[in-house]
Parts: sequence; C-alpha cells; structure tokens
Amino acid sequence: MNFERVVFGLFIILTLSLNAAFVAHGLEAAAHHNVWILTLAIIANLVAIGLKLGDRSETGALLLASGLVAGALLITARIIWIVTVPSGWGVPEAGAMADIISIARGALVANIIATAILVGDTLLSRR
Amino acid sequence: MTTTSDLDRVGMILLRYMRRPLFVLLFVYSLGIIGMVLMPGRVVDGETTHMDLFHAFYFFTYTATTTGFGELPNGFSDEQRLWTIFCLYTGAIAWFYAIGSLINLVQNPHFIQSMDGFRFARKVRRNAEPFVILCGFGDAGSLLARGLSDHRMRAVILDVDPERIKALGVRDYTVAMPGLCADAGAPKHLLAAGVEHPACRALVTLTNDDDTNLKIAVMARHLNPRLQVICRSTSTRHGGTLQALDNVTVVDPFAIFAQLLYWVIARSELHNLNAWFVGAPGVTLGSPLRVPQGEWILCGFGRMGHRIHRCLHDHGIGVRVIDPGEEGEATETEGDPVLAQADHSALEAAGIGDAAGIVAAMNRDADNLSTLLSVNELNPDVFRIVRQNSHENQVVFDAARTDLVLQHSLTTARRILKLLISPLIQELIDWLAQREPNQTEALVARLQVAVGDEPPHLWSVRLNPDEAPAVTRLLSEEGVVTPGALCRDARAFSQALPCEMLAIRREGQSIMLPDADFPLAAGDELLFCGVQAAEPMLQATLHNPYTLHYVLTGVDPPRGYVFTWFADRFGERCRDNTSNSRHPRT
Repeated sequence: MNFERVVFGLFIILTLSLNAAFVAHGLEAAAHHNVWILTLAIIANLVAIGLKLGDRSETGALLLASGLVAGALLITARIIWIVTVPSGWGVPEAGAMADIISIARGALVANIIATAILVGDTLLSRR
Repeated sequence: MTTTSDLDRVGMILLRYMRRPLFVLLFVYSLGIIGMVLMPGRVVDGETTHMDLFHAFYFFTYTATTTGFGELPNGFSDEQRLWTIFCLYTGAIAWFYAIGSLINLVQNPHFIQSMDGFRFARKVRRNAEPFVILCGFGDAGSLLARGLSDHRMRAVILDVDPERIKALGVRDYTVAMPGLCADAGAPKHLLAAGVEHPACRALVTLTNDDDTNLKIAVMARHLNPRLQVICRSTSTRHGGTLQALDNVTVVDPFAIFAQLLYWVIARSELHNLNAWFVGAPGVTLGSPLRVPQGEWILCGFGRMGHRIHRCLHDHGIGVRVIDPGEEGEATETEGDPVLAQADHSALEAAGIGDAAGIVAAMNRDADNLSTLLSVNELNPDVFRIVRQNSHENQVVFDAARTDLVLQHSLTTARRILKLLISPLIQELIDWLAQREPNQTEALVARLQVAVGDEPPHLWSVRLNPDEAPAVTRLLSEEGVVTPGALCRDARAFSQALPCEMLAIRREGQSIMLPDADFPLAAGDELLFCGVQAAEPMLQATLHNPYTLHYVLTGVDPPRGYVFTWFADRFGERCRDNTSNSRHPRT
C-alpha cells in the first residue's frame, strides 16, 4: 500500500463526489444547490492538483491536466456566483444559476476522467 | 523527371487517340447548334421566335447523348423539327464514335501498361511507411511477401511474369503490396519501385536467374548506396562479385538448405529452436526430432546435392550417393556413387537396410516422392528427409509419410525474413551453431520457462529517447540498467516477465545471451523473445521512470513535490517498503 496513492486518491474522489453533489437536480433552482459544497470541491481539487505537481509519468501528466480543467471550471462557476450576488448572502437568479450549474457539470466530466485514469492506472499496475 | 514520363506518355496516347473523335464532335456540335439558332421557331404575338445559343447548346447536349427530354424550352416549329432530325442522326453517331474510340483506347495494352506503371509509381511515391522492394514473385518471393505481411511490413513487388502479378492481385495481405509487371533489371522500374525513396528499407532479389539478380543488385547499389540489398545467388562466381560490395547480403538457397539439413542431422536441438523462432507449424520447443546416428544416403547429386554432400562430409557424416548421373559431373566422393534412378535396386545397392537416414534431394518432386515410396517399402524405419521443389505440391508432401520436408524456397524466404525483421536472431542462431549443444539446450530451457506453450513473439527495442525515454534518461544520469531488471514484472516484483533478452547490438558488435547483470548502455539495440503480452508490459518499464525505478530497486518512490518533501523530512515512514532486496530470477 502506497500512502501517497491513498492521499491522492482520496482528494480526487472527494472532488468528484462534492462536484456531483453540487450539480445534482434542477438546473435553475437555486434551492437545490449549496455554495459551500462548491467551495469545498474547489479546495479539494486544488489539493489534488498540488499533490500531482512533480510527477514525471504520463499518467501523472494526464491527471494534472484533468485536475487543472476541473479546477478552472469550478473556479469560473464560483466567480459567476460571486459576481451575480453583489450583497453576499443571496442566491443568483435563474439565468445565472443555469450558467453556474452547466459549467460545474462540465467540471464533473473532467473529474470523472481523472478518476477513471486513476482507477485504470492502479488496476493496470496491480501492486 | 522519370516519375512524370509515364504520365506524359499516358497524356500523349490519350490525345493522339482522341484527336479525331474530338474534332468530329466539335464539328457536329457547332453545325447543329448554329443551325438550331438559325431555324425560325414558332410565331408568338406576330413575332418569329429564335432559340438562343445557350438553349441550343442545351438542346443539342441532351439530343446527342440520346437522353432526349422533348421539345424544350418551348414547343418547336416544323422548321426546327426538321433540323432536329438532322441533329439527332449526326449527333448520336458522332457521340457513339467518340465513346467507342475512348473504350478502344482504354483496352489498348500499351495504354493499360502505361497507366499501371504510372499508378504504381504514384502509389510507391505517396507511401510513407517503411517498405521493402521485392524483385521476383515466385515461390520464395510469395512466401516472403506472406511473411512480411504477417509482420506488417510493406513490400513493393516487381516481376516480369504477368501471371505472377495477377496472382499477387488476389492475395489477402494485411498491408498494401503494390505490384508491377516489369523487368526489375531496368533502372527506371527500380526507380518507380522506390529505390531512392527515403522509406525504402531494403531491396531483395529473388528472380530465378542469377545474372538478373546480380544485375539488379548492382543497379540498386549504384542508385542508392545506403540501401541494404539482399541478393539470392546460387553460383559461387556471382557470390564473389557481390560479397565485395558493402550493404549487400548474398543468400544462397542451396547453402542454407545444406546447413539446415546438417542441423537436422547433427544439431537437432538447434534446428528445433530455429524452427520454433520462425514459427514453423507443428514445432514444439524442447522436443527436437530424434535422428538416428550412422551413414546417410543422398539421392540426387546436382548443385544442391554437391552442397549437401560437402557440408555433411566436412562435419564427418558418412554419405552414400545415388544419382542418375545425367549431369556427368566428376564426383569427389569416396566410394563411387550409385549411378541409377533412385529406385528399389539402386536403394538396395546403396545399402538402404543399414542406413540411418535418406535425403531425397533431387530437383523434381515426382522423383523424390517415388523414391520415398520405395524407401517406405524397403526400410520404413529409416529417417526420411525430402526436398520439396514446388510450393504447388504442398498437399502431396503433407500427405506423404516422411519425417521432415524441406522446401528450399521456404527456407530461403524465412532466412531473408529474419534478416529483414530482426537480423540479430540469425546472428544468435549462427553463434549457437558454433558453440556446444548444451548452450542451446540451456537457452531452450530458459525460453520454455519464459514462454511456455505460447507461440514466440520476437521484438527489438533500441535504447534511444524515442523508444525508451526513461531508460535513456537514467543511463545519462550514470544509472545502471541490467537485462535482469528490465525483464522483471512490475506488477509482482519477485517475478520475471515472460520474456528473455537474447542479444544486444552495440556499435556494430553483437553480444549474445547477455547475463542478467550485464550493464546496458544508451544506443543499444536489444532483442527480446517472449509472449505477445510481454511487449506492452516491457514498454511501460521503458517509458515510465517510476516503473523503471521500481523494477530496479523494488521501491516505489514518492512522486509529487509534497510527498517528496515529506519523505525527505520524515525518512522512511511514508514509503512503502515491499522489498529492498534483489530477488534472484527463477
């Protein structure tokens, strides 16, 4: 058992889970989505990216790339949330909410790819 | 320049052939269209209408081509209809005349030949994959093409016999194999076949005529001095000429056949290994033929017979010769050859009863097969080796009761294939032939452990940044990489991958059967033999620095900066120490 793999796997899968939790249900209904989950997903994602820095293998490069894509999209979604809610503690209106959720769903795809690469690499090396 | 000459000729033939039909068409069209415009049309609102030029052309087009849409765009007057009748007959006749001329041209043999040559040259020119030029598509040529196709290597084929090129057209090769019916001895055909093409790897001459082979080899050598030329030659005189040229390998079918025969008789373990490498059907590694010791009878004392006799004689194997003596050559055997057809009486005279084996090596398959029938009656226990001359008779030889069939076109094709695909393999076999048999047996035992019952898969890897980036980087950092470590299974550290490293080529020198702890260097070419699945596993080791580090040390180091820092800070705690000791390879 490799401790680095445990930690990295934890953060990648945590990012995926939080991302999935955030985008679940209606596209425009603000009540279905929690800004805290989005924020935690961004943090987990940034940690996963940080852990992959310095990996020279091909799979490492792909994981870093998919992590960067997911991070960029999640942060974009969070920025839209901030911009459309000037007062700080409201919820965005329906159009803005739809933008946020569709971008976060894009990030979900990148996270699924990252998890698939991680699982596939582990199964192939079987150690 | 030469590549466009065919196209120029095609264009020239086309123009010369089509000149008159085209002029006839032009004349008829002009006359018909002008006449149609001049004919007064129907009277509309007191005005006589006329067809305009465009509509006249449109009308004549569908009339001459016998399509016939009717009276377009408006109904015709009677004058126009009169003219239409004229147009119909002249236009249709001119049109058919032109079409007929065109069909006649397409069937013209010179035109077909020019088009084939042009298409062939274009196909070769546009091909970017590595390929081999194959001159001669006889038995050996087609067997070699099949072997190349199995290895996904392209070939460009030239043969003077149109029937052979037609036969090529109905083969189901896995890669494109363009063929041209042409004399490969003509330089322009060699150029069309891509002698100067950067992707051309080698030129193989396999025509039945030694002089032609020599001519092609010399031409190719002049056109492209860097090109590897493999030349089939059975005459010693030519062999001398060719040996003097560098980059030219002479392949003598008779010598190969004789050498193989000697291996069968005296080095059966080596023959078994060789046959297993080339994928001969029905060969199991480690179960060589059981060949009895003693005197051998050789039927046929032509050029091949002489070779076989000399080869066996030099290695101290007694040979008695039976030959009808047509060739009337002076024989240098001790004990006169039995001068007769190899039938019952001749075989008894040669002492078939107490011989260890018989080689039926005459140049006619029917003679060899009839000799075999006599042998089977007289002494069925004798070891029977038969020479097969023609690939067409394969079915009969399969059905015949023999111990071994040797087909010289097949042995030649296999030898050339080895030279093209992995020359190291042939070097290894030759190297083993000069060593004691126990070396071969040791290698066979190793391969049996590694490969088991699967068919062998041979591949070579060059330690350069393209094919083995991780290894070359490690070597440039003064690291040590050994064959034993490379062949270790990264999925289960204590075990070896199902493959063996057979040879290393370094700066023109070959190192055969390197030890497990032999230090490799950048630029080495390594030859592996294993199961098919071992190649991608080994690829991972060659490409991935972490996998490489793991098979070398058994330690999986931290990868990211964060964990590297942790590991440096807190030592061994977050490393996984499955094992740090080197396991001996079993």
